[in-house]
Amino acid sequence: MNRERFIKRRREDWQQFEKLLDRMYGSRLGKWQGQDVTRLSNLYRSICYDLSLVQSREWGARLEQYLNDLVARGHNCLYRTPPRSLDSALKFLSEGFPQLLRRRKTFFFVALALFAIPFLIAMFVGIVDPVLAEQLVDRTELEDVRQNFSKTMYTEIDSEYAEQRSAAAGFYVWNNVGIAFRCFALGVFFGLGTVVTLIFNGLSLGARSGYLVNQGHADYFFSFAVTHGSFELTAIVIAGAAGLLLGWGMIHPGDLTRRESLRVHGMDAVKLATGAGFMLLIAALIEGYFSPLPIPNVIKYVVGTMMWILVFVYLTYSGRTAHDGFPVAVDRDHHSPAGQLIREELA
Amino acid sequence: MPEKLKVDTRMTVETPEGVDFQFVIAGPGKRCVAFALDSLIKVGTMILCVFLLMAITGTNGELPAVSNGIVLVIWFAMSWMYGACCEAFLDGRTLGKISQGLRVVRTNGTPIGWFEAFGRNLLLVPDSFLVFGPIALNTVGVLSMAATRRMQRLGDLVFDTMVIDEAREFISRSPDIAVGVDPIERAECRGRYHVPERTLAVIERLFEGDRLISDGRREEIARTLSVQLRERLGYIEPQPDPHNPNAFFAQTPRKHTAFLKRIIKTFADDGQGDTSEDAPLKKARTTSRRAVGSAADSSAMSLDRIVAEAADYEMEDHSKKQTATATLPTPADDYVDPTYLVDFDEDSPTKTSEGESS
Repeated sequence: MNRERFIKRRREDWQQFEKLLDRMYGSRLGKWQGQDVTRLSNLYRSICYDLSLVQSREWGARLEQYLNDLVARGHNCLYRTPPRSLDSALKFLSEGFPQLLRRRKTFFFVALALFAIPFLIAMFVGIVDPVLAEQLVDRTELEDVRQNFSKTMYTEIDSEYAEQRSAAAGFYVWNNVGIAFRCFALGVFFGLGTVVTLIFNGLSLGARSGYLVNQGHADYFFSFAVTHGSFELTAIVIAGAAGLLLGWGMIHPGDLTRRESLRVHGMDAVKLATGAGFMLLIAALIEGYFSPLPIPNVIKYVVGTMMWILVFVYLTYSGRTAHDGFPVAVDRDHHSPAGQLIREELA
Repeated sequence: MPEKLKVDTRMTVETPEGVDFQFVIAGPGKRCVAFALDSLIKVGTMILCVFLLMAITGTNGELPAVSNGIVLVIWFAMSWMYGACCEAFLDGRTLGKISQGLRVVRTNGTPIGWFEAFGRNLLLVPDSFLVFGPIALNTVGVLSMAATRRMQRLGDLVFDTMVIDEAREFISRSPDIAVGVDPIERAECRGRYHVPERTLAVIERLFEGDRLISDGRREEIARTLSVQLRERLGYIEPQPDPHNPNAFFAQTPRKHTAFLKRIIKTFADDGQGDTSEDAPLKKARTTSRRAVGSAADSSAMSLDRIVAEAADYEMEDHSKKQTATATLPTPADDYVDPTYLVDFDEDSPTKTSEGESS
C-alpha cells in the first residue's frame, strides 16, 4: 500500500479524533456522551494500528510523530484517574484505613515499641533524677514546660486561651501533622530516618512528662494531655509504622522485584500516613479547644478515657469483614498496585 | 538481556492496544524552573493571605490570635498540600509544571491517582535534603534523578511515577538543508528507485545544525551513501562543460554533500519550514495515474511525482527485484496488512506475483 493513499484514506479519521479529543479532554467524565465514548475508543484503536503500521514501514518521522502525539493524547484521555468522590474519601477513612492498619499491624507494634520504650525510660529518668533528664532535653525547655503547667500559669493560660485557642489549634495542625509527615517521609532512607525520629520524639516527650511529674504537676499535665493524646500519640506511631513500611519495602522485597515492592509498600505507607494526618487534625482541634478548658479534671479524664476507647474501637473493629486480616484478593480499583500486579500476572 | 543504550530522554510505553508510543522525560532544568515557580507561588500566597487578614482585621503589624491560627493552617496547607492537591486535581500538574509544560504520570503512562500525588509530594522532604550545606538544594533528589533512567527523584521512585515533558518539539525536516538546491530531474536518472524514509532520516542527521563536523569530514561520510544512491538511481554523472570546465571542477570537492542535499529536496515530501502538526496531511498528494504514464517522456517531471504513485518503499529497482524474488521470496512478499487496510491495497502483492510469474 502506498503512503499517500494511506494518508488520504485515514486523514478524515485523524481529524475527527483530534476534534473529539479537544472536546472531551476538557470535560468531566460525567458529561461524556455514550456515542462520543464509543466513537473515541474506536478511533483510538484504529489510530493505534495506524501508528504501528507507520512505525513498521518507516513512513517518515513526522507522520510517526503526529500519530504518536494523537495516541498519547488519546491514551491520556481514555486512561485517566478514576474519578474520586467525597464518598470514596469517607469510605477510606471509615473502613480502608483501619483495615489497612490491621493488615500491617506488625509495623504498628514495632513503631509502638520504638516510641514507647524510650518514652517510658525517659519518663522514669525524669521522675527519679531530673538532673539526668536535663541531659535529654535542654534545661530552658524543661523550665518552659514547668512554667506552662504550674498552677498559677495554668489558670492564667485558661483565661488567655479563650482568645488564643484558634491560634493554638493552627499551631498544632502545622507542627504535629508536619512532624508525622516528616516521620513517614524519612522512612525512605531504609527506615532509618523514621526509627531515629520515633526514638528521639519518645525520649523528649518522656523526659518532659517525667520532669513534670517530678515537679508535682502530674495532675495538670495528665488531665491536659489525656484527651488529645489518644489521637495524637496513636497517629504519631501510625506515621512511624508508615515510615517503617516504606523502609521495609526497600530492604526486604520478598517475592517481588524491588521496584514492585517499593510501589506496593509505598502505596500502603502513604495511605497510613494520610490516615495519621487525619487523626492528627482531630487531635489538634481537641488540643486547641477542649484540653485547656477550665473545667474539673475529672471530666477531662472521663472524656479522655472515652476517646482512647473510641480510637481503639475505630482501629480494631471499623470495616471488619468476614475475612479480616487477609489481603484483599481482587481490588476493585484496577489502578491500585495490588490490582495492577494481579493484572500483570494474568497477562 | 542488556538494556539498549539510550542517547536521548525518550521512554517508550506500550499501550494496552499493543502499540508503542513515546514520552519525553523532563530534565532537571525545566523541573527546577517549575519547582522555583511553585515555591514562589507558595510564599506569595502566604504573604498575600497575611496582608489580606491585616486588611480585614484593620490592624497593622500585629495579627490577632485567630488570624495567627489561620496563617499557620495556610502555611501547613501550602507546604504539605499544595503540590499534592494540584497534581491530584489538575491531572498531574502543578501551576509551575503547567508553565513549563510538564506532567506527572505513572511509568506506564497512565495518569496518577490521589495517593501517588500526595505521597510523592511528602517525599519532597528527603529529596530536598541538603547534603553539601545550604548551597546545594534538593541534592538527594537531583542525585537520584541523575542515577535513574527515567530521571526520578525518590518520590517518583517509590510511587512509580515520572515527569514527562509535553512540549511537542516537532521533528521537522530542517528547512535550510534544501534551500536553493535543485531537485533531481527525471532525465538525470536511468533507474527507478524511491529513496526510503529511513535513508532520508540518516541524511538529515548528517546535516543537523548541532553536529560539529567539518565540511571535509561530512563529504567523506556522505560519499558512502551518495555512491550507493547514485548506483540505485542510475544517476547519470554530469560531465564538465567543455567550454567552461572550471565551474564543474569547482564543485567536485563537495559533490557528494551536494548530491545528498538534492536527494532531500527531491524525496522529502513535506513543505519546507511548515511545522504545523497536520503538515503531512496537507501534503497528501493527488497525483493521477496519467501522470505516471507521461512521466517517462516528460523530462521536466520531477522524480517524486512518479515515486508518489508507483513506489512503495519496498519496491526497489525493478530488474534487481525480479532476480531477487525469482530465487527466494523475501519476507516482504508474505507480509499481510492489517485486515482493515487490505481493501484499498492495490499495488504491491499483485504486482510482485506478476513479476514472479513472468
